[in-house]
Amino acid sequence: MAVQLEELQEIWLHLRAHVDQLADERQHYQEFFERSSEAYVLTDAYGTIGEVNGAAVDILQRRKRYLRGKPLAALIALERRAEFRRNMSALLARAPGSQAAWRSIVVAPGERTDVLFTGRVIARSAHIGGICWRLESLT
Amino acid sequence: MSASSAPEWLITTVGAVRDLMIKRLEANSLEPEAKREMEMALEELDVMWEELQGQATLLMRENERYAEFFEYAPDAYLVTDAGGNIREANQAALELLKAPRAEVAGSPLSEYIMSEDRVSFLSCTVALVFGSAVKPHTLALRLQPYEGEPFEAELRVRAIPLKKSGVGGLCWLIRPAA
Repeated sequence: MAVQLEELQEIWLHLRAHVDQLADERQHYQEFFERSSEAYVLTDAYGTIGEVNGAAVDILQRRKRYLRGKPLAALIALERRAEFRRNMSALLARAPGSQAAWRSIVVAPGERTDVLFTGRVIARSAHIGGICWRLESLT
Repeated sequence: MSASSAPEWLITTVGAVRDLMIKRLEANSLEPEAKREMEMALEELDVMWEELQGQATLLMRENERYAEFFEYAPDAYLVTDAGGNIREANQAALELLKAPRAEVAGSPLSEYIMSEDRVSFLSCTVALVFGSAVKPHTLALRLQPYEGEPFEAELRVRAIPLKKSGVGGLCWLIRPAA
């Protein structure tokens, strides 16, 4: 019994180390994303927001909690929304890794911001994993 | 016990210990108290395993998402180590340097800087690596891609912990000059 418990203890430590290593790696990329001075948004292939960094929050003028799960197009001025969706569909129709940029208007309560959207298609093992967006305020 | 995200050897060993414990219990060779202890230990093992598996799966999913962000960011990013060697390069950086990943990985970033700009590049690198500069720096340099003509570029650099080792590295954002 003592031998098995010792063995269990060892397994436990190895598994813990494995989880700690995963946490370190996550921190590496997460810090990179969060601390960037550039504004980035990650969406899935349908344009639904997954992650937003601090610089993007400043441009979009909404809380992160509000933004996650919302379609990016829902933040675009109504009269530019169809054009935004068309551009996004055209981008997704291109090869993974393709990049395109266009201007649009982001609306927040009492504010309209002219924004340059640059999107790059994320490839994930033979299918589209989503889009990585850089936002630049032109206002 | 589902175990999709732990290394294979770990799954095998935990499985083997678990089987051994169950066999002991089934053999009925234990004192009632020892049997109770064994049953509790088994239950605890299952709960701990499930919990850690849940954590590992979540972390792996998050890692994947953030790693994808690095790889597919619309900006060209490079991560160098304290020696100035390129540790990571994303797709946009490879396109900008017109180089295959195998060529870029491990090579000194200074190789892609025109010789007349190397002194200012190296002094900035040293200041950041040895901590005399903590804020992000911006440098205007001429880059020499692997193929094609040199071009003017703006390099923005900040300190970043390196993957796994946690030792300080530098993260470079490269943009061709407007």
